[in-house]
Amino acid sequence: MLRYVLRRLGRGIVLVAVVAVTTFFLLYAGSGDIARTILGDAATEETVLRKQQELGLDRPVSVQFGEWALHAVQGDLGRSWFSGQPVVDAIGSRVAVTLALVVGATLVSALVAVVLGVLAARTGGWVDRVVQAGSVIGIAIPGFLLAIGLVFTFAVTLGWFRPTGYVEFARSPGGWLASIVLPVTALAVSAIAGVAQQVRGSMLDVQRQDWVRTLRSRGLPERRVVYLHVLRSAAGPALSVLAVQFIALIGGAVFVEQIFAIPGLGQVAVQATGRGDIPLVLGLVIVVTVIVVVVNLVVDLLQGWLNPKVRRS
Amino acid sequence: MRSRKRLSALVAVGVAAVMLSACSGGSEGGDGSSSGSLVLGSPLAPTTFAANDVSWANEAPYIQAVYDTLLRATPEGEIEPWLATEWSYDDERTVLTMALRDDVVFTDGTPFSAETAAQSVLGFKGGTSPYAFLLGRVADATAIDATTLQITLSEPDPGLLHGLTTAAGVQGSPAAFDSPEAQTSPVGSGPYLLDTAATVVGSSYVFTRNPDYWAPETQYYDDLTVTVLDNAQAQMSALQGDQVDVVNLLDSSAADQLEASGFVLHPAELDVRSLLLFDRDGQLVPELADVRVRQAIAHAFDRDAILQALADGRGTVTGQMFGESSPAFDPGLDQRYPYDPDRARQLLAEAGLANGFTLPLPQIPTGTTIQYDLIRQYLGDVGVTVELTQVPLQNAIADLTQAKWSAGLISLLQPATDWETAQTFLTEDATWNPFHRPDATVEQLVATIQQGTESEAAEAGRRLNEYVVEQAWFVPWYRVQSVIVSDSDIQVERQNDNIFPYLWNITPAQ
Repeated sequence: MLRYVLRRLGRGIVLVAVVAVTTFFLLYAGSGDIARTILGDAATEETVLRKQQELGLDRPVSVQFGEWALHAVQGDLGRSWFSGQPVVDAIGSRVAVTLALVVGATLVSALVAVVLGVLAARTGGWVDRVVQAGSVIGIAIPGFLLAIGLVFTFAVTLGWFRPTGYVEFARSPGGWLASIVLPVTALAVSAIAGVAQQVRGSMLDVQRQDWVRTLRSRGLPERRVVYLHVLRSAAGPALSVLAVQFIALIGGAVFVEQIFAIPGLGQVAVQATGRGDIPLVLGLVIVVTVIVVVVNLVVDLLQGWLNPKVRRS
Repeated sequence: MRSRKRLSALVAVGVAAVMLSACSGGSEGGDGSSSGSLVLGSPLAPTTFAANDVSWANEAPYIQAVYDTLLRATPEGEIEPWLATEWSYDDERTVLTMALRDDVVFTDGTPFSAETAAQSVLGFKGGTSPYAFLLGRVADATAIDATTLQITLSEPDPGLLHGLTTAAGVQGSPAAFDSPEAQTSPVGSGPYLLDTAATVVGSSYVFTRNPDYWAPETQYYDDLTVTVLDNAQAQMSALQGDQVDVVNLLDSSAADQLEASGFVLHPAELDVRSLLLFDRDGQLVPELADVRVRQAIAHAFDRDAILQALADGRGTVTGQMFGESSPAFDPGLDQRYPYDPDRARQLLAEAGLANGFTLPLPQIPTGTTIQYDLIRQYLGDVGVTVELTQVPLQNAIADLTQAKWSAGLISLLQPATDWETAQTFLTEDATWNPFHRPDATVEQLVATIQQGTESEAAEAGRRLNEYVVEQAWFVPWYRVQSVIVSDSDIQVERQNDNIFPYLWNITPAQ
């Protein structure tokens, strides 16, 4: 098991390195005149040249990469070209915010989707049809539209939640909850729809299998058959979908953080990309890649725990 | 059964807690007048707080919160004393002597003096602020005594005093100039202190009242928060949710709806949307060297229809680059090139281009292509074929200002003075004369603005404006209306040459 984990981590490190190198050269190749972009149209050529020197942009790209890589392996990802803030600090202060949204949305979607999927598979009839129709609608509604609707209804009109901004948990647990309920809901709806469909399908598949019939014929209580055996067996594919949804939710956080003005990775990603703040974009790409690698590893380990056959393979 | 009840109770308590905290959160963050706090919504975060490198425009409130300037400007642009109480030029107008206050202390305990002021001036001149050009003619700055600063110029600079009311006049503690934290931890003498612990860089900047401020009567609020709201939806939500007091509206089409909801609008026209014909000598497009061709292009556009199509009528059609607050502004020049496609075709025919020509144009992605469709349509009607090429947003300014294109469509600030307008658009070194084409008439008139008496300078400004309009190097469409929105309990006075109101002009309503 340990060897498996180490092997996966090794692959993950190689992946992060490849992504970092590729991103660095892609960004620099299309970066244009960064100093001019930072200083705007009012600055003179003399000031622009001074800024280029200050940022080290007057050196060959290979030299810049060497210096960046040397610092990066020591945990120093440089400083934002715009704010001057260390990239590690800029991302560090925001990663918890985005993870709160994404983990929250994942937990909510897992919980609600399992309930709905099981209910639809077990009950059938109109309940099944409602869940299926709801899932289609949930997938079809554009996330940004849902977010705007939630803000208008529950924050602006009813005043139940904060329309924008984020409150740290340590500062006010109630305020924190009030600031993430709507963004988490906006993020979770499509994930709930996707995972509920998967749970429903897997449950129906597993219920039809011979070993389930055998369990029933042995006189095991129906609850035990469904919730212990069938659900556990059906959880594998659902978990895979949930893992994919988790990664997609990080992407979804970009628009949710914009609409709710939440200081997370998505907001800083939009700002940094639009401005051409390459050190910050590079840092973001690396952090998100690490998150993806870790999530995939955790999901694989969970799959092994749920299904011994996966562990053996 | 009991556990189900307990669960329901827990859920109910949770929901109640969220709602209560949401309600308290709203008033906590936004209702400036009652709590003595002011919350501003800015479309962008500050580039830096380092005194030598600070920017201005939308970044002004961040900078004005923590720094003082040597001089101040009224909303109409009149220069007023601030850290400098008196000032005078010598006869050649190359030596500026300023008397400074002696009761100002930076937040690190360093006293403000002529010596620190000289270091600030020279530091800014050698720094990387986009506005470093404002001190471009400063040759030296020295302390004559503890409260007398002398700034020596290489040549007269009519824009210097105004520059010292903005970023170029920012006074920081020299002890902090070389600090590695200078960019994020300002050390100034301003009315507020940046609370770095409560600030989330790039998102929300929290300032508290400076208890030792030398002019406490100008500290209108106990604390100040500047929240970055960089999209129209977040701005609307924050305004309507009472989380912010003043916002520079990114989507002015929402203005009417906000006004109907009780918010107060403060419109102003500071930018001009123009087609700029850079290639005055015809280096890339030879046809543009002929003034008749440029005038034909100016006649080709129906500016009223364009204003309606692009800005829903919010703005004013114009034909000149000199702004309304500039002394050289002449309303008569706005009608010099009325929409007249026949006249445009005639001018092109006189220039030997009856069959038209091709004008390459960079297309900058701004979320809509209507403006480029309109250019193609109007110029196509008179025989000019527009060839559009996509340019990445981050390269747009660099490409336009580096003579890569013969023309470009852009919105630019109209400076408040003739001198600055000439420096921005007209002189050989001007940023928006990217081919750096010299022009004897322009140079002569600008020299008079620079060195002549007040009346000579005013006359030269008027003649310069006429000459530039006649040359049709610029084809302005309309002055863009920008809208500041505020709560009804806040009083806002807009500056005649800055997009965001100055901090001390945002006050509790009487």
